[in-house]
Amino acid sequence: MTEPRNPGVSSIAQTAPAHTDSSSSAVEMDPVEYTLRKRLPRKLPKRRNDVYVNMKTDFRAQLARCQKLLEGGGHREICVHGLGLAINRAINIALQLQASSQGALQLAANTSTVELVDDLEPEDPDEAGEPMTRTRNNSAIHIKVFYPDPQ
Amino acid sequence: MSGAKVKMREKKMRNQPVSVQYPSSSVTVQSSPVNGGDTSATGKRKTPHHRGGWVRGHQKDGGGYASEMPKYITAGAFARARAAEVSAMLKAVTKTTGSCHVFGALPKHMRRRAMSHNTKRLPRRLRDVANRMREKSLQAGSKKKKEQAKSKSRKARRRHGNLLLEFNRRQRKNVWLETHIWHAKRFHMVKKWGYCLGVRPTYKCYRPCYRAMSTHCLLQDLSYYCCIELQGEEDKLLASLSQLTNKETGPTFSAALCLSGRRQGSVVVYRAAHYPSQSLGPVTFLWRPRAQGSTHRQLWIWAHPTIKQDLLSELQTVCQCCEAVVPPVVPVVMPPAEMPPAEVALTPQPEPKSGETPEAIQIPRTKRKRSRKDASGPPAKKILGDGTRCPSTPITWKSSSTGIVINDLTMEIVRYRLIGPQSHSVLAETLEAATDIDEINKSQPSSLWWPDHCKDKNKITLHQQQADVFNTLKGIYSSAELPSGTVLGLTVDDPRLTLPTKKGKALPCVQQAQEVDEEKRRELMLRGVPEHCCQSFLWEQSVRDNVTDNKISEQELNRMRSEVLVPGSRLRPTPLQGRVPILLVHQPGKQVGHEMSSWGAGWDLMLPKGWGMAFWVPLVYRGVRIGGLNMSLKHSQNKGAPHFPHDYPDCPAGVRFQDEQEAELMDKFKRRPPAKRTNYIKHGCLAPFRCPWQQLAEEWELITKEGREEREGDSQTQNTTDADTVMEEEMASHLDISVTKPASRFSVLRNQKSLRLLSGWCRPTTSKGQRPCRIRNVTALDSSAVTSFLTAHGMSLVWVRLSLMSKGKPELHAMVCVPLAEDLKLLSKESNGHSPQEPPHKNHFRRRKKGSKKAAASSLSSDKTEGSGSNIPPATESDLTPSAEGPKSTSQPSTAVTFGLWPDPLPSITSHCSRVTLGWVTQGDFSLSAGCGEALGFVSVTGLLNTLLNQPKEHRGTLLLRNPTSLHYRFAKINIEV
Repeated sequence: MTEPRNPGVSSIAQTAPAHTDSSSSAVEMDPVEYTLRKRLPRKLPKRRNDVYVNMKTDFRAQLARCQKLLEGGGHREICVHGLGLAINRAINIALQLQASSQGALQLAANTSTVELVDDLEPEDPDEAGEPMTRTRNNSAIHIKVFYPDPQ
Repeated sequence: MSGAKVKMREKKMRNQPVSVQYPSSSVTVQSSPVNGGDTSATGKRKTPHHRGGWVRGHQKDGGGYASEMPKYITAGAFARARAAEVSAMLKAVTKTTGSCHVFGALPKHMRRRAMSHNTKRLPRRLRDVANRMREKSLQAGSKKKKEQAKSKSRKARRRHGNLLLEFNRRQRKNVWLETHIWHAKRFHMVKKWGYCLGVRPTYKCYRPCYRAMSTHCLLQDLSYYCCIELQGEEDKLLASLSQLTNKETGPTFSAALCLSGRRQGSVVVYRAAHYPSQSLGPVTFLWRPRAQGSTHRQLWIWAHPTIKQDLLSELQTVCQCCEAVVPPVVPVVMPPAEMPPAEVALTPQPEPKSGETPEAIQIPRTKRKRSRKDASGPPAKKILGDGTRCPSTPITWKSSSTGIVINDLTMEIVRYRLIGPQSHSVLAETLEAATDIDEINKSQPSSLWWPDHCKDKNKITLHQQQADVFNTLKGIYSSAELPSGTVLGLTVDDPRLTLPTKKGKALPCVQQAQEVDEEKRRELMLRGVPEHCCQSFLWEQSVRDNVTDNKISEQELNRMRSEVLVPGSRLRPTPLQGRVPILLVHQPGKQVGHEMSSWGAGWDLMLPKGWGMAFWVPLVYRGVRIGGLNMSLKHSQNKGAPHFPHDYPDCPAGVRFQDEQEAELMDKFKRRPPAKRTNYIKHGCLAPFRCPWQQLAEEWELITKEGREEREGDSQTQNTTDADTVMEEEMASHLDISVTKPASRFSVLRNQKSLRLLSGWCRPTTSKGQRPCRIRNVTALDSSAVTSFLTAHGMSLVWVRLSLMSKGKPELHAMVCVPLAEDLKLLSKESNGHSPQEPPHKNHFRRRKKGSKKAAASSLSSDKTEGSGSNIPPATESDLTPSAEGPKSTSQPSTAVTFGLWPDPLPSITSHCSRVTLGWVTQGDFSLSAGCGEALGFVSVTGLLNTLLNQPKEHRGTLLLRNPTSLHYRFAKINIEV
């Protein structure tokens, strides 16, 4: 959370980590039934060469976007961020980029943990059941894809 | 000679001079000896046929004129009789009709364009005449306007006092909001609900506004919403309010978090103990945080102006508050008796300088009305008024039994809505927590509220805590990160003091905050604002009035600014009057569904009245977009939420809205030339301008009843795929029953549990239907579950979202239909662009209309048999509408038949087209957030369940959508979002 360009991961991977949680939370939540409502992960301002990977957009489109940034956009380096389920895809994109560049690109991966917030609203709107908020953690990856400096 | 001819002849003869008698009998008798005894001719003249006098033209029987010339005429009488005729003729000659132009005298090849404007294009000989005629026509045109000519010069009219009077006159019927003049310069205004409201800006900004909502901030003036204040003991308030709501629809007034005052809540209100029918509409409410050790509570209910009256009367009955409290005389300067009757209630705010001086000078010159006003005081600037009540009605009601007081605070509080993820940074930049005052001022007694409060240590600490919370807001990146509905009370400085010199865009400044701030931010995100910080002095009437009365005028402020040493620098110290209590309320964004969650979240800003413009302009200077009424519609559409009053067909306000909308659409339709109108009959669209929900619900109720009986009788040999056609037939045969049956009103399903169940049965997917979403513990969809569901919720509609699976843009009142089995095959084959089509319908009314015209003509020629023959409906080969014939033929007085529209008693709606209709779309558009066509509307619960039951599992929840002006069906995925 203390990293400067922490995943402001737009709406990535919300579905993914949640699934595991909703099943486990169902166990601990009774006797009063709760509805789980996930808030978006915390957003942070992003630069032009930050790419947040999600599971909704087509994979090829995201790959093409990265390629465009590197070739047409004139960026020497880009950062690919993925959260939760999208980690796989972020790695995949980075590797594809590297493969297609015939070794010109290099990768540097970092991982971090992102704190996510869930709202629990009682399904039975009784005075007793009070809405709750809880936090959980999810993993994220930040891959720097860059042309190494010519020395 | 027929009767008509005789009549005409009599009319013609009425004004004939008596002196000349052409071939009348007496003359002929006289002349016969002269003519030399042409007895045979005169004998013929005497036949009753020509008895009446002279006859036009040559007579066949050779009777020449010469023989009938009078011998003599009396000159005086003859001339007198002609005089009238001549004068009429002269008058007709001098009068120019509309199209009589001078250049009509010119041959066509010599005419030029714009001759009528520029007379120099005419040949010189005609110029004089043309000039004269032009002047004449100009005069005639301006005559009407001349009568109400502006008596005063523009300068006089624009003088401040006169302008105010004019403004007050103009808002007698429809009240202006405080930002009216700002809006009127930039927006298309409409008069609606007793207010003048901006619909859309005059410049093009549909997409920029959407972008503002999803990335920056959109500002709206929602001051037209009505606020009703309830005061009383907490338990008594809750007991009476609980009659209006039901727990099944979600949290009510008594939800714990709302009751503490930390969150704003929203409920759908029903008439007392009438749930689930007779809903009134949605309201939002806000409790004032508890004061220490007191059970006395204060509650604000915000409602749309269209339901205010209903809601108020309902509240009065449940609270047993019927004693109207006469408004205290103190705030009213003008006695109500002296006010003009049409004037809306106003609490005059004495304008310190600008209002009074011109008035005083002008007294001698003013008219009766003006002088009367002057006698009672300076003209009040109408900073408030109310379009929904008349001046004499009380605004406070009290109950002796329960001790509850109801207060109507309409137009007392200004409410602005900021939509978008950056709305909090706009607020943070615009507002500044009120600064403390120095010691000298503190010691002096003051009439203002802030110095008083500064003396109290508790209040100062509270203010500091609130300011702290407000400052942490700046460290947040998006408004959606906060718990929805959070409330924050605050006192701020006059935002005019910090007005930037240039318009800019407010952006968040998320920096690496210190540990302490980080901790605070987390606390705010998780828990929201602590309870004591939700308190605001805006709740107190006295403070509100004090702030409103002591506002520094713009003029005074500018004068103070001009005295500052460094031009453009901030005014220091802040003038004492410049502290305003406000209330910030977080508005949740999209809460339902799986996608775009918390889209469109934002903040509401509540201010005391009179301060509207003082906050509006500084907000605008922070780079927000301004939206009108149509943007709030789009906002709720993107949120997937029903918009009031458009999407509440079961509320009285919603019904009224539908009627208005129908009339409006009908007008628009009729304005087109008949040949250019859409022929809705051919498109198989029964009701393009309205949605007959009641009939829909009734028909589906009937279908299921029949289906159930059938199933029992046939011992379930019925194939599921045939069900649709069977339904149609059933419908056809039983329509007449449904018409006669006294039916209960339909209702809209709002029971959360049932909705959740229904949602699971629809096989929820992501928007375009690519990926299924996970559903929790759902009972399997089978006939027994459906039956039990339907017994609980028969005759009800359900709010659904439909996203198109391929191209297409749904429109208003598009039909939601059930696909046939063949259609679903089409879908699975991946045949792109192939969607089912509706075969064009035949227009039976066209022939019939012609026939009736013919009948009318022939009846004149007294051909009765033919006329009655053509009234019989033409041979009914109506394979498409077999059931329609019965009601149609009865409805055929055909006086109000508009070409291309079905006449009134509609035939069976469900089975009219080749695909069975389930419901209609009330909002449809290309959704910029989903990237495909999206429609929101209602479908019949009964119909939906029947359809789902009959559909194969992989295609469950796939429906068809057809626009009223098109024959193409489009596949759409249904989603019920809870």
